[in-house]
Amino acid sequence: MIGLIRSCSSALIKRSKKGASVKKPKGPKQKLKTLPEFQYPVSEASDRRLYVWGLAEHGALGLAISTKGKNNIAYTHNPRRLSFGERHKVVDLACGYGFTAFGVHSNDTNIVYGCGINTDSQLGYHVSDEKNKSGIIIDPRPVTLPLKESSTRVVGLAAGRAHLLILTDEGVFTLGNNGYGQCGRPIINNENYTKSKVVHHIPNIKGDRITAVSAGQDHSILLTEKGEVYAFGWGADGQTGLAHYRNEFKPSLVKGDLAGQNIIKVACVADCVLALSDKGKVFGWGNSEYGQLPVQGDTHQINIATEIHECQDLGHIVDIATGGSFCMILNNTGNVYVWGYGILGLGPQVQRVLKPTLIPSTLFGLNAYETNSQVSKIYCGISHLSAVTRTGDLYTWGNNKFGCLGLGHENNQFFPLKVAVGAQVQKVGCGVDHTIAICKPFV
Amino acid sequence: MTTTLITDASIAWKLLNGIFISYKPAGISSRIMRSTIQKLLCKELNEMHVRPPTTYVCIEGETNKPMTVSTRPSFADNILAAGPRYQEKDIKLFCPIMPGKDTSGVVVTGIGKGTKIAYKLLESKTTRHYKLKGTLGQATNNYFISGKIVEKSTYKHVRRHMIDKICASMQSSHQRKMFEQCGVDMESQAAFELAVQGPIRPATSKVPVLYSIKCIDFESPEFTLEIVCLNEYEDYLKTLIHELGMKLHTTATCTQIQCFQYGLFNVEHALLKKHWKLEHIIHNIQECQTILDNNEYLLHQKSASLLQQTNSE
Repeated sequence: MIGLIRSCSSALIKRSKKGASVKKPKGPKQKLKTLPEFQYPVSEASDRRLYVWGLAEHGALGLAISTKGKNNIAYTHNPRRLSFGERHKVVDLACGYGFTAFGVHSNDTNIVYGCGINTDSQLGYHVSDEKNKSGIIIDPRPVTLPLKESSTRVVGLAAGRAHLLILTDEGVFTLGNNGYGQCGRPIINNENYTKSKVVHHIPNIKGDRITAVSAGQDHSILLTEKGEVYAFGWGADGQTGLAHYRNEFKPSLVKGDLAGQNIIKVACVADCVLALSDKGKVFGWGNSEYGQLPVQGDTHQINIATEIHECQDLGHIVDIATGGSFCMILNNTGNVYVWGYGILGLGPQVQRVLKPTLIPSTLFGLNAYETNSQVSKIYCGISHLSAVTRTGDLYTWGNNKFGCLGLGHENNQFFPLKVAVGAQVQKVGCGVDHTIAICKPFV
Repeated sequence: MTTTLITDASIAWKLLNGIFISYKPAGISSRIMRSTIQKLLCKELNEMHVRPPTTYVCIEGETNKPMTVSTRPSFADNILAAGPRYQEKDIKLFCPIMPGKDTSGVVVTGIGKGTKIAYKLLESKTTRHYKLKGTLGQATNNYFISGKIVEKSTYKHVRRHMIDKICASMQSSHQRKMFEQCGVDMESQAAFELAVQGPIRPATSKVPVLYSIKCIDFESPEFTLEIVCLNEYEDYLKTLIHELGMKLHTTATCTQIQCFQYGLFNVEHALLKKHWKLEHIIHNIQECQTILDNNEYLLHQKSASLLQQTNSE
């Protein structure tokens, strides 16, 4: 940089000297003052930045924070830039329960990096783990995958409580805890997951390519190119949607109302699952303790995919998200609807809503001066919610555990508020108590 | 409006109560503009038919004889002794916002009894609309084009969409600050209800709040921003351009600041320097009074919401 400035300035000085020699001033030679012309770096179109905030104690932020806050716990309530994003081309990310996985574009086979809690080998095995007693990875490190080709790209990532799903061109790789069959392989009693080298590979489902993955607390869901949903793992609350409450390790087709529908997205963080069809219909199954799903009778669980008819009148639904006790949907006009229990973004007086309720668009920056602001993507953590607008502004609200809302304080936020991130937000990963955003620099 | 020629200064003086809008040129301070108007008004009033000196009653003669009573104009009240009838200190002027030296544009001034109206206008926190012009590639020591250049940088990479994106981001960040400045606990129901209404007035008059910031023209290296704000001051607007420059990975200097609207008063109403005359000012006072009468909310704000009244029109 300095060399560049120097060469630039010398070039300018040279030019000015030439000009002076032509004129040939008669008097004493006046010294021309030429300022160096700085060239500040400009990012490329593919450059991305990573901003992280929330609890740092478990290492899921990918950086060590030396200043300890309350109760001697390290956390940050302001977005911090992660230099990992500068060194790698991060394209995707998934935030699990205290760990993070980054999908990167690279020339070698290291296409996924991970940091955070690795007690169940959810971030894979590395030789350095033998010496590492804490089971925590502070700096993002490559997750070793048995890839056949070096050109394989990562397509999707999903992280649960202690397992990780990595979707690549070669199929899905699962790592971590398999206590309920959430890794898609037979359950082995008393299996030791620490320093485990097991990586399970699901190349396809009955010949169909897998297009998306998502993970709940202890179950996993795959989406195929035909728009079918396959689930496996913990089923105690019906979250696998397989019409029973048993654990299932084999990816099995979710039927119910999903039959014949082309599902484009499945959202899940804990034990309540929402699915979205290409026609804008919303389906749900799993735990409904907080009234997230239309249950009949005294039961709080639905073990079969059920259409949520209340969403039909809300226009064409384009995005869905679920948290621990609430659900959120977005329609094509940018309206955000929430229902469930907890801090929903409808003010401190509203704790529980059974029907999808609109969050006023003015809270997402729509007003007489700004008529262009429209929500385009929504995300949920266990107890916090976030929305990204078309202009790349990130709004967060909900429970502010360890400052995971990134608003600069630890107070709960009862309506959407903008996070001060100095770039356009493209994708957000919400964990339990940490949040990470992939951003595109302005310049 | 019927025009009548006023020749009597006292009639004109009685009409000088209210608010008027003047257009302040850049380069002179508001204080100088104010005293110029005072001087010009005095000059014109004094040229008119002014009050004659009061009569002085003389009782003369010896006290033990009948005394003579005569009257004559008082020498003490003579213009030559007492000074001009209308003096600068007699004209009370009050500007709610005193723009800095480099700012040009609309300045609201209260005159006579109108100073109270002008004060109410200040209290009701009416938005100001500015046009800021900037140039890329250089930074000066006083954030304005008049300063000494301290840094130069390249700006060829800057595109219109980059400025737009940064402006949008700045605007939404200011909206967040607006909620924090509204004077209620952020965790309360009241804060939520205020936030739902959209833009709101800040409780304090200290912190600048931007409601809108848009790039309306870009022709590298020159660009123009249009902003709507409250509690702003000249240096703040200059640093805004500087900050934008830094976010664009270059440097920027403010070249021009124009306030083109204050509440409902805009440049159309403003009196140019050549019109700082008694006749125009009196007409302007009447014009402003009709605007104030038709829009009562300008002086009496009942809600913290910024746009409620404007929408209900």
